[in-house]
Amino acid sequence: MTSGRTVPLGRRNLTEDTRRAALSIGGVAVALLLVLVLDGIFAGAIRQVTAYLRTLPADVVVSQQGVRTMHMSASALPPTTAERAAAVAGVAWVAPIWYASGVVATATGRQVSYVIGYDPATGRGGPTRLVAGRTPTDGEVVLDELGADQLGVRIGGRVTVFGAPHTVAGLSAGQTSITNTMAFVAVADFTRHVPRPASYLLVGARPGTDPAALAARLATALPATTVQTRTEFVDSEARIVTDMSAAIMQIMALLGLLVALAVVVLSLYALTLFKLREYGVVAALGGSPWRLARIVTAQAVWTAAGALAAATGLALLLGAVIGRVGPQISIVVTAPSVARLGVAALAASLAGAQLPIYRLARLDPAVAFRRQS
Amino acid sequence: MTTHTTPVTTNGASTAANAGISVRGLTKVFGTGDTAVRAVDGVDLDANPGQVVLVMGPSGSGKTTLLLMLGALLRPTTGSVILDGVDITTAPDRHLPRLRARHIGFVFQDFNLLSALTVTENVEIACNLAGTRGTAAHRRAADLLDRFDLTHRLRFKPEQLSGGEKQRVALARALANNPAIVLADEPTANLDSSHGLQVARLLRQLATTDQRAIIIVSHDERLRPLADRVLWLEDGHFRTLDQMPIDPVCGMPVHPRGPHASHDGHDIWFCADGCRDQYLTNPDRYPLTATTPAP
Repeated sequence: MTSGRTVPLGRRNLTEDTRRAALSIGGVAVALLLVLVLDGIFAGAIRQVTAYLRTLPADVVVSQQGVRTMHMSASALPPTTAERAAAVAGVAWVAPIWYASGVVATATGRQVSYVIGYDPATGRGGPTRLVAGRTPTDGEVVLDELGADQLGVRIGGRVTVFGAPHTVAGLSAGQTSITNTMAFVAVADFTRHVPRPASYLLVGARPGTDPAALAARLATALPATTVQTRTEFVDSEARIVTDMSAAIMQIMALLGLLVALAVVVLSLYALTLFKLREYGVVAALGGSPWRLARIVTAQAVWTAAGALAAATGLALLLGAVIGRVGPQISIVVTAPSVARLGVAALAASLAGAQLPIYRLARLDPAVAFRRQS
Repeated sequence: MTTHTTPVTTNGASTAANAGISVRGLTKVFGTGDTAVRAVDGVDLDANPGQVVLVMGPSGSGKTTLLLMLGALLRPTTGSVILDGVDITTAPDRHLPRLRARHIGFVFQDFNLLSALTVTENVEIACNLAGTRGTAAHRRAADLLDRFDLTHRLRFKPEQLSGGEKQRVALARALANNPAIVLADEPTANLDSSHGLQVARLLRQLATTDQRAIIIVSHDERLRPLADRVLWLEDGHFRTLDQMPIDPVCGMPVHPRGPHASHDGHDIWFCADGCRDQYLTNPDRYPLTATTPAP
């Protein structure tokens, strides 16, 4: 036995008829695209929902005991938490923020919003990026630009926050998700309309201080609270979104993969039947059932690879188009997501190859000697 | 795994070191009981290196069944097929593909080239099956195709070739594994007379130059002159050809039980009613003296 490549009959068979190859690979690609887009929307939603938390200047976040997230949570800290936190070694600064779910409304529309009360003087806990206008004073609000667009208001426009009229003082970016938007008001304004203790405490570490070590010290100093590094807080937030959507995502992904499997089975089996005589020739010339199985397996692998490449390209394109048409929906195609789908697609393709392989295992090589009509 | 080495000359010719094929008592029975059919019945056959054996016979006589058994594609009911000193009828099923890949070359009536592959790849894949891969397989395929004057068609697909070219590619493929024996099933049936003659000469050359045993199953009378021996298979048995009457129209040996006519005191047998009718329209056109020995 000499070494080196062998004639890639599986790949040649697959690509011999470009129309048939396009249909096979395209069919699988559409099914994979469904999974990839769903996954992308999901990842985009997580990225949007956690955008505020990810861009906080804090190294550590303190919340009410047992509260580890912001999304769909309510947190109220004991009144002296900020002072006690500031006294902990390694703390550079502390900034309490107030948080409530609310409605930002105009005469013509309303929008579910997370309203944040923060200190405009420090800016900590405020909008990530102010793209127009200025920080809010009493009776003013900063809206996300997408949310403002949807409400049809601009800077200087009037909206209702917590049932009270506010003037739009500024516009922020990147803080509207598929489910809600964010609005920022000054602390005094917030507590006047919703009297309550601070919801979260943002803590900045001194240079050279390890956030995890600081979080541990804060947890010891603030026994009736939950202390997390910002990364842990973001992960907790992402997890709650994942947990809420995981079941439906898994079902949709499974459906997509089942469609992919069905397309693979149909296309490979049809191709196998179409090429049955030629496979008989290969068997007559000395091709073992194992060799024939390898040919079909190669077709399955190439189908999966081609479909994955096409689906990834289409998902990126779709993400770019949707990003322009509907910026509140974000499709994020990540390398891990493509890798996971690739493994699943490969598994589905290999499973789909089993029926043709079974057919070829029963192939009589004598078929090569039958007269063609 | 054994190493497969193939001596190839610069023009692709190679010499097969082998002892030919020896068949004894080969029988194939399909079905059982009252419905049993003895497609091949106790056939003996020897084809030595350098010999061309032509097996002829009417449709349904068992020719293809015989060929399949010689090619290790069908297990006989009884009998032996000794190829290169090995009885292939007793080889385990799992060994048969490798045995075919390394010892037997096949030429099919319908060429049976793989449509997705180029001319070179069609030969190369047979090299792969025989255990030669990579550059060595590619080089051997190119050498063989050069031998059959197909160098200008290496990158062509089968659909771009003429019938004669396709069969020459098939011949090159049959030699990819440097086989001891080449089995050809109606190799000229789909070719016009000039291409058929060309393929017939090439088959003769494979026997004479390469010292291979060539067994051809065919209806084609044009192949008779190239054969060292012509065997007539009918009802699963070989019959002695020189004792059989010849159809004066088509020249086929026929059994003295078929369509019949009498002319000028001679009894004449035909392969089919069509030949008899054609003969009767103008009997003088078909001389009887050399073609119709007494049955």
